Amino acid sequence: MKTFNFILRLAVGGVFVVAGLLKIWDPSSFAKDVANYRLLPDMLVNLMAITLPWIEVLAGGLLMAGVWKKPSALLITGMMAVFLVGISQAVYRHLDIHCGCFGTIEARKVGWKALAEDGVLFLAAAWLAWWHKD
Amino acid sequence: MARTIERALLIAVAGAALGLAGNVVSPRHIPYIAPPKVAPQPSDFIQLDDARQLWLASGAFFLDARAPADYAAGHVAGAYSLPAADFDARYQQVSDMLTLETPLVTYCDGLRCDLSHDITARLRQLGYKNVHILQNGWTVWRKAGLATTTGDQP
Repeated sequence: MKTFNFILRLAVGGVFVVAGLLKIWDPSSFAKDVANYRLLPDMLVNLMAITLPWIEVLAGGLLMAGVWKKPSALLITGMMAVFLVGISQAVYRHLDIHCGCFGTIEARKVGWKALAEDGVLFLAAAWLAWWHKD
Repeated sequence: MARTIERALLIAVAGAALGLAGNVVSPRHIPYIAPPKVAPQPSDFIQLDDARQLWLASGAFFLDARAPADYAAGHVAGAYSLPAADFDARYQQVSDMLTLETPLVTYCDGLRCDLSHDITARLRQLGYKNVHILQNGWTVWRKAGLATTTGDQP
């Protein structure tokens, strides 16, 4: 179990670090992706695009490094929950938009597949947040 | 648990602070608050009759701001697809056919649809002087029995 959780920790943390860095690389594209979800008021779109990727990198990095494992896993679970809500409403409203999950290197559109993949990541993060001691 | 939540929030705040600070030095920095969208003026809209005249005289390019799937399911005959969500990529494909003076008619579907407003604002930024919005365009065009077609080509 320990080995499994160690690998899972690296995987989930790694996904977040990579996803965050790719967004930091091209903030204006990510801001457009955020705006396309049509969830946030225009005023907040850029602030979200500026801050979210760094939170992802920091939380993912801490989880990988094994520092504050429970809090970082919990934060990642929370972010995944928000992403799931965002993607679900986009699917429900038939928005034909880019996921934006990994910056511009992915052409992945929002849809059932993105929803399923994010669901798996959510469960993995939730498991880590529950399993690790305070 | 309380300590875990506290620390999770601390990570979030620290990450946000890093982002806000990083944006100052980033070579690709963006404004913290994007300039507000300019709402279209009444004079930016075109009436169906005028749009029809332009269409009959082949005097204007019609640009469909909806998603490609909606465009493929049916669009104004001769209209080009310029989805608001994919403006940059698609614009390259249509820009060769346009001059800054070309009359353009943008439309999407629904009284509250503002995808056409979005691409109109983008086109104006790029210097197009003659852009008109046909509000609720797809519906009014179709209801008036005017020419439509399907597929992913104009």
